[in-house]
Amino acid sequence: MPPILEVRGVVKRFGGVAAVNGVSLGLEPGRIYGLIGPNGSGKTTLFNCITGVDQCDEGEIWFKGRRVERLKPHQIFHLGLGRTFQVIRVFPELTALENLLVVTTTDYAAAGRRAQELLALVKLERLAGEFAGNLSYGQQKLVEFIRVLMTDPEMILLDEPAAGVNRTLLNELLDAVRGLRDRGKTVLLVEHDMKVVMGLCETVFVLDHGEKLAEGAPGVIQADERVIEAYFGR
Amino acid sequence: MKRAFLLGLAAVLVALALYPMQATGYGVRTMLQLFMWIALAQSWNLISGLTGYVSFGHVAFFGMGAYSAGILIGKLGWAWPAACLAGGVMAMVLALVIGWPCLRLKGPYFAIAMLGLNEVLRVIVSYYEGLTGGGNGLSLPTLHASVPIYYAMGLVAIAVTALTYLVITSRFGLRLMTIREDEVAAEAMGIDTFRHKLYAFLLSAVGPGIVGGLAARDQGYIEPLSVFPLITTITMIVMALFGGKGTIWGPVLGAVVLFTFQELVWARFIYLHQLLFGAIIVAVVLMMPRGILGVLQQKYNLPRTI
Repeated sequence: MPPILEVRGVVKRFGGVAAVNGVSLGLEPGRIYGLIGPNGSGKTTLFNCITGVDQCDEGEIWFKGRRVERLKPHQIFHLGLGRTFQVIRVFPELTALENLLVVTTTDYAAAGRRAQELLALVKLERLAGEFAGNLSYGQQKLVEFIRVLMTDPEMILLDEPAAGVNRTLLNELLDAVRGLRDRGKTVLLVEHDMKVVMGLCETVFVLDHGEKLAEGAPGVIQADERVIEAYFGR
Repeated sequence: MKRAFLLGLAAVLVALALYPMQATGYGVRTMLQLFMWIALAQSWNLISGLTGYVSFGHVAFFGMGAYSAGILIGKLGWAWPAACLAGGVMAMVLALVIGWPCLRLKGPYFAIAMLGLNEVLRVIVSYYEGLTGGGNGLSLPTLHASVPIYYAMGLVAIAVTALTYLVITSRFGLRLMTIREDEVAAEAMGIDTFRHKLYAFLLSAVGPGIVGGLAARDQGYIEPLSVFPLITTITMIVMALFGGKGTIWGPVLGAVVLFTFQELVWARFIYLHQLLFGAIIVAVVLMMPRGILGVLQQKYNLPRTI
């Protein structure tokens, strides 16, 4: 199957530091991918390049057969590529419901129904009218997660979905991610929790110092000498 | 509650509509200025209260409207209502020209660019003497029209407030607020933030443009220093902050309270009044940055549509 997302030789420098240095990835539709690597290995920067938040200095990014590396974030989003953030970025002075409503372009009534469905999915319907800033950390995380689902994007990038989320909530979140995959969506997630990555992802990419160190099934990656070295030292 | 509010509002509007019939000329012109401040504070609220992009040069649109209308009336003999509407259009044109580059700047840089814009406009107006009269100012033909201008000002104040209501209760308004809350996230969630900011900026320019034209017509004489003063921008900001930025009635409340205060105190203590005004600014920023309505909103969990 042709890849839904293809990253070709992407380079992103900040000053003299190449945060991402010639990374190439190919992601097929309907699968869950993981992106791991030590702190500072360029995972979030790569996410930012793919979603247009940062502009890459070199290389190409193709999404659904279109070059997107020079598009604005909102344009990329409307092509069907949504994301969440490592640090929660809900709109604190909008209610949970409004946080969802602002995202869509469909008519208001349909957006409202969709928002209620999604709130019910994560059991937050009671808190729909509450300002997002007043919700707990985990609840904000859920709001951010369902916010990206409002437009039913074909591909979703999740930046550390498990961080700071309790076990019960996490299992629901992971089930939701599998549900997305089962409906043909593609998911790429950055995650530090190895259990989550190994239990969820079908293919894992490993970044180190801005370069792709390895790629493969979780079991293979776990046994890879270079990966172990990058994480734990020699 | 809502019914009582609407009834009260209707009563106030009727009283204001009847007011010129028995008022003195001074009274009419004072109220006309109050309407002007409501329109200005409310317009500033549309861009800065909602998107968080603080415009420190909003008086530029007021001045643009004043000079456009002044030139159309004085040099081309236009009727003042048409000239003032044209002033509003010219202010929007200016907003488009300025907003296109400046709204790409973030936060404080935008504020400073707007401050600069106002100064630049003042210098330009002073320079092109042939058209604007330069530093000598521009005199308009004598006309006694305080009462019609009173109604026109009132209509603009109502229109801008109604516009604010429509914006705040719409998805467009919510999106403007997402820019204030977190612009990066808004952009990543598919919101074309630049376009939204630009639309809000255009909407926020038209009111000051029309009001500037009306003020020029009312005063009969304009000069660069009188229509581009920084203090006008600051006053509209303080009014909006005092009442509650980002709300519908906050700027109206702020304009009414502070304008009344100013009129009462100014008449008696010409210097003390500035001191007190400064003290109010400091007190508001320190003690209730969300303004009166913002505080009430949080305390009593009131809807956004106040």
